[in-house]
Amino acid sequence: MTQEIIKKDTLPHFNPDSDILEREDGFHIFMDLPGVNREDLVIDLKENELEITGKVEYAKKEQSKDVHLEFGSGAYVRRFTISDTVDAEKIKATLKNGVMELFLPKAAKAIPKKIQIQAE
Amino acid sequence: MVIDFSTYYDLPSQIDRIFEEMSKPLYFTQRRVSYPPINICEDDKNIYVSAEIPGVDIDNVELTLTDGSLVIKGERKSESGKYYRQERASGNFQRIITLNVPVDPDNVSAAMKNGVLNIALTKAEETHPKKIDISLS
Repeated sequence: MTQEIIKKDTLPHFNPDSDILEREDGFHIFMDLPGVNREDLVIDLKENELEITGKVEYAKKEQSKDVHLEFGSGAYVRRFTISDTVDAEKIKATLKNGVMELFLPKAAKAIPKKIQIQAE
Repeated sequence: MVIDFSTYYDLPSQIDRIFEEMSKPLYFTQRRVSYPPINICEDDKNIYVSAEIPGVDIDNVELTLTDGSLVIKGERKSESGKYYRQERASGNFQRIITLNVPVDPDNVSAAMKNGVLNIALTKAEETHPKKIDISLS
């Protein structure tokens, strides 16, 4: 046991609350990331694994004492597996008011097509 | 928590998750009890209240300061579509914060940034600590 233990970040990890829903145009993922700046949000897509990481750090006000705490600095991490029906090239993400919206459009082959029946 | 040993699931990350669960800081124990989660801190002159309300515009949050309490009220709307997973809270919420010191009702500021609401309340003049000079006789 001579190996030195590498300590990663000391921030607590949170699993951000997420909604996944389907609309006609594709899938939408909404994720609550309160306090996360745009620069601190990283969205990684490796093959079909989508990883979202965000970091939030609240500066402590000087000379003030904490009375009651229910949230704080931390790191948000969440992973999703993307299905083949999603067009990975066209994934779009927006961050507004602490909510991230990921739009995963369906690939052209997954969009249902109407088949015309020809009368004889 | 169910551990799935089949090849479809990433076992190392599941074990990581169990350890993360255990190493969660204890001081956030009240999280998820009521919505929205709030932090309160104070100094000699001000009381600072912050709340995590992602996805709600400041115009849709109603702040009421009554005698001895601050009320945060609002509504989170849910999106329309076919849901596969719904974890985010939606609907009306209200939280009452009891203030044990009188505050100046004209000196309240509130700002929303990245889904975090920050409220600063100024304590009433009479509660400010005062220095008393002792004169030697």
